[in-house]
Amino acid sequence: MKVELDKSLALPVSATAGWSLVENIEGMAACMPGAKITERVDATHYKGTITVKLGPATVSFKGELEVVAIDPIARTIHVIGKGSDTGGGSGASLDLNAVVKETGPDACELSGVSVVNVTGKVAAFGARLMGTVTDQLLKIFFDNVLAKAEELKTNTVPAGSTGSTGSTDAPAAPKPAAQAVETKFNGLAFAWAILKDFIAGLFGRSKAG
Amino acid sequence: MDQNVENHGRLEKLEGIGCSRKRREDPRFIQGKGNYVDDIKLPGMLFAVMVRSPYAHAKIKSIDTSKAKAYPGVHAVLTADDLKPLKLHWMPTLAGDVQAVLADGYVSFQNQEVAFVVADDRYVAADAAELVEVDYEELPAVVDPFKALLPDAPVIRPDLDGKSVGAHGARKHHNHIFNWQIGDKDKTDRAFTDAEVTVKQDMHYPRVHPCPLETCGSLASYDAIRGDLTVWITSQAPHVVRTVVGLLSSIPESKIRIISPDIGGGFGNKVGVYPGYVCSIVASIVLGRPVKWIESRSENLTTTAFARDYWMTGELAADRNGKIKALRVNVTADHGAFDACADPTKWPAGMFHVCTGSYDIPNAHVSVDGVYTNKFPGGVAYRCSFRVTEAVYLVERMIDVLAQKLNIDKAEIRKRNFIKYEQFPYLTPLGLEFDSGNYLPALEKVLEAVDYTALRAEQAQKRADPNCPTLMGIGITTFTEIVGAGPSKSCDILGIGMFDSCEIRVHPDGSAIARMGTISQGQGHQTTYAQIIASESGIAASQIAVEEGDTSTAPYGLGTYGSRSTPVAGAAVARASRKIREKARKIAAHLLEVAPDDLEFDLDQFKVKGDPSKAKTMKEIAWAAYNNVPEGMEMGLEAVDYYDPPNFTFPFGAYLCVVDVNKKTGETKVRRFYALDDCGTRINPMIIEGQIHGGLTEGFAVAMGQELPYDEQGNVLGGTLMDYFLPTSVETPHWETDFTVTPSPHHPIGAKGVAESPHVGSIPCFSSAMVDAFAHLGTTHFNMPYNSYRVWQHAQSLGL
Repeated sequence: MKVELDKSLALPVSATAGWSLVENIEGMAACMPGAKITERVDATHYKGTITVKLGPATVSFKGELEVVAIDPIARTIHVIGKGSDTGGGSGASLDLNAVVKETGPDACELSGVSVVNVTGKVAAFGARLMGTVTDQLLKIFFDNVLAKAEELKTNTVPAGSTGSTGSTDAPAAPKPAAQAVETKFNGLAFAWAILKDFIAGLFGRSKAG
Repeated sequence: MDQNVENHGRLEKLEGIGCSRKRREDPRFIQGKGNYVDDIKLPGMLFAVMVRSPYAHAKIKSIDTSKAKAYPGVHAVLTADDLKPLKLHWMPTLAGDVQAVLADGYVSFQNQEVAFVVADDRYVAADAAELVEVDYEELPAVVDPFKALLPDAPVIRPDLDGKSVGAHGARKHHNHIFNWQIGDKDKTDRAFTDAEVTVKQDMHYPRVHPCPLETCGSLASYDAIRGDLTVWITSQAPHVVRTVVGLLSSIPESKIRIISPDIGGGFGNKVGVYPGYVCSIVASIVLGRPVKWIESRSENLTTTAFARDYWMTGELAADRNGKIKALRVNVTADHGAFDACADPTKWPAGMFHVCTGSYDIPNAHVSVDGVYTNKFPGGVAYRCSFRVTEAVYLVERMIDVLAQKLNIDKAEIRKRNFIKYEQFPYLTPLGLEFDSGNYLPALEKVLEAVDYTALRAEQAQKRADPNCPTLMGIGITTFTEIVGAGPSKSCDILGIGMFDSCEIRVHPDGSAIARMGTISQGQGHQTTYAQIIASESGIAASQIAVEEGDTSTAPYGLGTYGSRSTPVAGAAVARASRKIREKARKIAAHLLEVAPDDLEFDLDQFKVKGDPSKAKTMKEIAWAAYNNVPEGMEMGLEAVDYYDPPNFTFPFGAYLCVVDVNKKTGETKVRRFYALDDCGTRINPMIIEGQIHGGLTEGFAVAMGQELPYDEQGNVLGGTLMDYFLPTSVETPHWETDFTVTPSPHHPIGAKGVAESPHVGSIPCFSSAMVDAFAHLGTTHFNMPYNSYRVWQHAQSLGL
């Protein structure tokens, strides 16, 4: 089954800083719950794994990522990837185009259009969960990217004391990125979030977040 | 009067044709004492699991089995490369195509068999299967047969590259299998040109699966010392399997023993030969140990033999009074990745040409194109004769569409077009000879039983009330089925005529054993065959053992599917019984010292005409057959019959269904279903009733929920019982049944077969009712299955 995602996220940092997050493939991957880059093959090729919980089943994919195009001037990146689950019963592929656009001196927007294709058991058994699960994964992913951006912002403020956002009011305890980036997947919280969205959906409310 | 009481007692004891004898099979089934393939355990037995493709279409770049082979408890991992030296990596299908046993360089449907892992038990095999590393290069999949025929469509079968002629004639495209036509096209086209009224309707009969409770499986045991191969298998046609295994393995059939033990439902799913069967046989030969392979539920639903998937366009030409002048049909048949349809060799669309139905249609033409797609192979007759369900669906839907166009009641338009009783035997424009039928009284009986006029009045009242929360639909079908394949002049499987057989041996004590070429999957053969023998030979049914399914003991037969057991094997039973009876007559004449012609057969004895005190019972005759026979006669009392039917049989029925559809939710309640069946002579009314209940329930399942949909990437989305509708007693409506009796003139006892009529007849009846619910809003057709979501969508599209 094919899942097409078109999402954007406002980041409270300059476009240059935002882009520095995006071009760091390992860092980006670490923001995705359950995902990690296991090997950098060369400048544009990576190997990695991602573990996803779909209902009662947990599926671990391992695969390859290739940065097909990267343009630091236009701040665009095109990544493709493919993999299969370790049991051989499912396959997945990803085609992602992301861009960082400047929306202000210390603000930018990260937009991504991606097509995820899933085949095999995951598609057969998990089709009805895919949409919700993907939404939840992205929500966590965006939270993590945002936390990284906040960290970047906090760390860069002392150097540039003329920060336009009023650095004196900066949060007392900036959230450590390491804590925000959930590399370990919290299945229970995740399941709860899905259930919550499902119930909200039943009553016709727009999904949280 | 005493004589009558005595006769009645003898008749009851005989338990012959027409009595509701209790099923002999049930005590073991209801106590869990059945013996299915998976119940059989042999010393040293290993278990196998298939590695399957997650992709619907992909090249296989490499397969690494080393980790799986090294896993503790694993004995072998087979791939196509291992089967190549044996020339077993491909196998012939029943439709004249070939099918990969294990994927040979590419996969062309999701869950296709790629490797076969044999281990100590199922769990080890399943774990090791996950260690087989297959490197795929995914290719674009095509699951729509119309897109498969576009010029630039992906090539689904590279092995057929350059082959412009297939098993059934010319191929016009790399994904085209065959075009099959029947009927007079020119005359039909002319009738359409000249017609006062024409109607046309597209319809899809979705891909479904028979989903028997027991999945497919096999247990192969090769004795290397004796060179004997024994295979326990879930097969509806064990002798055909033996022939196929012999052809594939070069082992003589005399060294192969195929045993179909108890089978937990077949419905067409267990006719074919599947890769798992072949692999278990090869693995047993290679390893010298018994190897068992049993499908999981999802494997069953997504790999072994779908049914239907016909995209049909029907057209009718008629006059203003609704009298039909011609039928024209075009079908695009989605056969999946390999053409493995189970049809008689000469007919790639089976008996679809029964599609003129119960109606006197002077002209007809049918064209069917078979197409490859990236879906699993099959095309079996799911509780029907070959493609008959599709054919009946088409004509029953079309006559409704015509009725709607002409604003004629759908019962009335049927009456105007029925083949009349005096027209039988009736030759259809598509070349079939209907043996017997009496359609009008059947329909009238149903209409009266349900008070059709009152139902229509109620419907009119509800339609007139804008506040009525429900839509009421009334469906009617008056179908004719074709079963009993079939006459060897037109029907064969792999070159073997579709006869069937029976061997009866009467023991000295008067009891008997009958061995058959068929195999019951729930039909109750042990019960009903014995009833035929009882009536025809005078041996009480309780004294008769019926044995089936073991090719080493049973005479060759083509098996049980397409409602052929009663029309074909049942005839062989009757004829073998009559041979027994005629020999018994001679022995009785010898014992009574009269001429054979001076005797008359009376239930369970021969008595001298005019002197009923002089008689010999079958029990006495059986004893004499082993010690006192007329001079020149062989000892013993046994007979064999191979019956090649002169024609098919044509059961028919009239069904009526009433549904109430919730306008706002699409939820549908089947308020009433009245099914009148005519299967000719009725052997066991209770079993007929059970067969009809089962067939109606499976018809309900197909119409209201069953479907195996695919997404565009070729993922099969109905492959579990979470998605695939299997009705239980909770969902199943109440069935009302009725019957008429119009015997088949050419069958020895006039029986026609019944198991599949209710499936064939009920599905268009549900469609007729569902469409009728929306007919006043302009709906002429919408596709099955009628689950609440789809019905709701339809209601929404009409602004309800």
